Amino acid sequence: MLIKNDTDLVLTKEQAVKLLRTMLLIRYCEEQVVKSYARGDIPGGVHMYIGEEAVATGVCAHLRDDDAVFSTHRGHGHAIAKGMKPEKIIAEVMGKATGCSGGRGGSMHLFDPSVGFYGTSGIVGPSILLASGAGYAAQLAKNDRVGVAFFGDGGSNNGAFHEGLNMAGAWQLPVIFVCENNMYATEVPFSYASKSPSIAGRAQGYGFPGVEVDGNNVLAVYQAAGEAVSRARSGNGPTLIECHTYRTRAHSEGMRDTGYRTQAEVEAWKARDPIKWYKATLMADGTATQEEIDALEAAIQKTAEEAANFARQSPMPDPTTVTNYLFS
Amino acid sequence: MRELTFTDAAREGLAEEMARDDMIFVVGEGIGARGGNFNTTVGLYDLYGEKRLRDTPISERGFTGLCTGAAVLGARPVIDFMFLDFELDALGEIINQMSRLRWMSNGQVKVPIVLRGGVGLASTGPHHSANLFSIFMHLPGLHVVTPVFPADAKGLLKTSIRTDDPVIFLEHKKLMKLKGPVPDGEHLVPFGQASVVRQGKDLTIVGISFTVIEALNAANLLEKEGISAEVIDPRTLAPLDLATILESVSKTHRLLVVDEDFSPCGAGAEIAAQVMEQGFYELDAPVRRLNGAFVPGPYSPPLEAAVIPSAQSIAKAAQALMVE
Amino acid sequence: MAFEITLPRLGWDMVEGSLADWLKKDGEFVKAGELLFTVEGDKAIQEIEALDSGYLKTLPDGPQKGEKVPVGTLLGYLVPEEELAEFHFPGPALEPVPVQAVAQPAGLPLETPAPVPVDGHKKRVYISPYARRLAQGLGVDWQGIHGSGKGGRIMALDVEQAALMKQKTTVPVAVPMPSPSVSTISAIQPTAAQAAQYAAERHAITPLRKKIAEHMAYSAHTSAPVTLTTEVDATELVALRKALKEDSAITGQPAPSYNDLLAKLSCLALLEHPLINARIEGEEVVQMGTVNIAVAVDTERGLIVPVLKDVQTKTLRQLARESAVLIERTRSGSITYEELQGATFTITNLGMFEIDAFTPIIDLPQCAILGVGRIAPKQVVVDVETEKVAIRQCMMLSLTFDHRLVDGAQAARFLQRVKRFIERPYLWMAG
Repeated sequence: MLIKNDTDLVLTKEQAVKLLRTMLLIRYCEEQVVKSYARGDIPGGVHMYIGEEAVATGVCAHLRDDDAVFSTHRGHGHAIAKGMKPEKIIAEVMGKATGCSGGRGGSMHLFDPSVGFYGTSGIVGPSILLASGAGYAAQLAKNDRVGVAFFGDGGSNNGAFHEGLNMAGAWQLPVIFVCENNMYATEVPFSYASKSPSIAGRAQGYGFPGVEVDGNNVLAVYQAAGEAVSRARSGNGPTLIECHTYRTRAHSEGMRDTGYRTQAEVEAWKARDPIKWYKATLMADGTATQEEIDALEAAIQKTAEEAANFARQSPMPDPTTVTNYLFS
Repeated sequence: MRELTFTDAAREGLAEEMARDDMIFVVGEGIGARGGNFNTTVGLYDLYGEKRLRDTPISERGFTGLCTGAAVLGARPVIDFMFLDFELDALGEIINQMSRLRWMSNGQVKVPIVLRGGVGLASTGPHHSANLFSIFMHLPGLHVVTPVFPADAKGLLKTSIRTDDPVIFLEHKKLMKLKGPVPDGEHLVPFGQASVVRQGKDLTIVGISFTVIEALNAANLLEKEGISAEVIDPRTLAPLDLATILESVSKTHRLLVVDEDFSPCGAGAEIAAQVMEQGFYELDAPVRRLNGAFVPGPYSPPLEAAVIPSAQSIAKAAQALMVE
Repeated sequence: MAFEITLPRLGWDMVEGSLADWLKKDGEFVKAGELLFTVEGDKAIQEIEALDSGYLKTLPDGPQKGEKVPVGTLLGYLVPEEELAEFHFPGPALEPVPVQAVAQPAGLPLETPAPVPVDGHKKRVYISPYARRLAQGLGVDWQGIHGSGKGGRIMALDVEQAALMKQKTTVPVAVPMPSPSVSTISAIQPTAAQAAQYAAERHAITPLRKKIAEHMAYSAHTSAPVTLTTEVDATELVALRKALKEDSAITGQPAPSYNDLLAKLSCLALLEHPLINARIEGEEVVQMGTVNIAVAVDTERGLIVPVLKDVQTKTLRQLARESAVLIERTRSGSITYEELQGATFTITNLGMFEIDAFTPIIDLPQCAILGVGRIAPKQVVVDVETEKVAIRQCMMLSLTFDHRLVDGAQAARFLQRVKRFIERPYLWMAG
């Protein structure tokens, strides 16, 4: 079965369903994290990706295990979409020894080089530079790997954005810069932080294409990302993709979600939920049936619950290991 | 054995390493075709081209972050900042990313990267004279290397490039034209091995970077007064070879640490504390530190002379220590 | 599965809060995402949404509105329709453990230290750590030295000079305890003058005594000393000694003493049991390459232990000559530092004081010390079957060894060999 939409994008049924699968896995795992946080199972802070699933899914669908992704503080979605095992993520967020980083980092220090995931981060900006560096290494090694940097509207105003995009353009690095514009940097509206409303438009200043897409339409993201990854792999340099999206929960769990945005705005975006829209799209053109989708949802829900259970039952890290791995 | 300047010896080491490994590349302002503003890369651009000798825009934070990412993904960058002062714009990347990635990821990634920067006062003024050794010594995950003699410049740079961890490689401007013997063939100097550059029995002087040279000059002055000074060049501050310093102190029982960087909290403070902790019963007098004055580096020569340790001021401090 | 509604954590350092109000009624159906209750946290009242769908069942004995409870406290359940019929509140065992409170730093009361009374009379003497250590090693009392360092501080140089001065003057003999001048003990109450006579007398510890004291204490709490005793039939040894004495009358050579004989035969036993002639140094066991035997000598000044060097290379006559010289020099105070160094084994003989067995202290870093008791005639059984007894010259040996280095059986075998050599001295001829 094929999907056709107004942009002439063509996917096999398997590819199309895989996009839904990834978004569901992100959503259900994040819900497990929310519940765990509310129960006090998580010692530190977490920033939920709920509402933004289409961006990570659409971009990472084009990436191989040896492509490098550098992510943000709101990166569980990127990690899952890139192929990290949910139980390793949730265990890390709970500070357990079985977490991907042995409990050393928590939510903002998820790493798994085996699937090309080089870290969520607590500092805004460096993902842009690091991904450019990954692209540089690929050029040196003469292979066709790419680097991908995720960052938010807040990150677009950081010095790293300017320096990183400038060098990537000047040296034609194989990088994809993905800006998740969810309109708020913590609680500061983007319109307050920048005179120019378009982030994608800045790419012109660095000499390479910038595209703007509806970040809640996984197919639109998929298409734009596909073009960008192709460009990069073929040596034609970087692309900036600005994805308009929205987080429907507070900046970080436990924080208030009122005072800087209206409930009406939140509801409006919830109505444009990427997963709801995509399920409807798949059913509308017959790519998937309600039963298939229900079965998929049940299976992934189970996966998410199992991952959370695994994490809950895992032991805490051994304190005597805390000085390991400082040096090679 | 040949006589080379510090700069030429270091460059020879860099050239040898770049010939061994295609993934080593150098970034910095002017290190491409120009060969580096301090001649650090002369001749290499013609051999390896722009991908491996990359002239950068003035984006210290940017290219430091970029090189960190490249290192994580298998390259071996050497960043040539020219001046340590310029490196400071990249401190966020150095501390939060570079020094921590290996630890944060529980050993899954490594960052083989060398950061070269010129240090010290040389009529260079407040924005081109930083030393700041102890700031880097203080950070877990970084090696700090301070060669003095040409043979060490070469041997330590090669070791730094081959190390799989970040190295802060600090070269004093006044050492660049210093000539010294450099062994033929492969020459590597390990980290954590201090060098006793002058034997003595009355007191131990530990110098850091250029002050090792001044300490040697001071030792000659002291000889005339009948004081025999042992001079130690630590060569690397992290890891620090405390054992050699302790062994010397167990012989002389007096220690003077000379550091052009200012106190409080200079490298000498850490050395003094460690010697006090582990060699207390060898000390016949308190450990003394002689530091640069607690001001930024001034420009005019008499001001600079008043700020930094000299052979005379070192000798004077040593004499005072002898009668304590 | 019924979903547990617990007091959520708002803000990473929140440890407790209170349920402000339910926004739904007990028994009402709630959809996931609807606002369910309000919580009063550290900062403000916050509305909390339901994370699951179900019929609300508030805990009947749960926290009251406004009651402060720890984060994670169970408030109620959202029960799916299919479980409603059988739903019941679980027993207390199912209450979730409240989340661990953020560790509060132990509030240690800040105690201002009691003011130290300043002794106005005694002026503090300062000495550098190295100089103090040096003084200890050289046996110099540094309290009285004049310091040439800053502020009168005593430096190594000052200690070295003091030691040099001391060497030039004669070695002070230990001040003998003054004998009480009044020997008769009066029955009547002593007068003040008489009371003064019974007061304790004080003298500074001599450097030698101090050194011995430190060394003994060090041995006692560093080594793991075990003492083995055995009774030896020394009849043959006595006969040997007699024969050597008679022979020396003819040759004019000095006769080997019992200590010389014991030194020689111990040496033979040590060659067969080399571990007794070893020592621990740091992380290493050092096997000594020669046998130097120290023989303890009692002097007026205290116990001094001159050393017979390379005993395995010396004949009995050589040992007799050497030990005679050493003992003379020890008693006269002219023994040199060299002559007191290097022992790998020690023999200490208290037989002349009618002592049998005792527990000598190891002279570290040596492994062992052999204590020798008196030789006295005793009635012993020579044949059990025939119940034959005889008078034999008997002697007790007490071997203290360091169990860190050597085990009981090893030491016992060595001692047994020593015993054998005493009982059958002709075995020495085998070499």
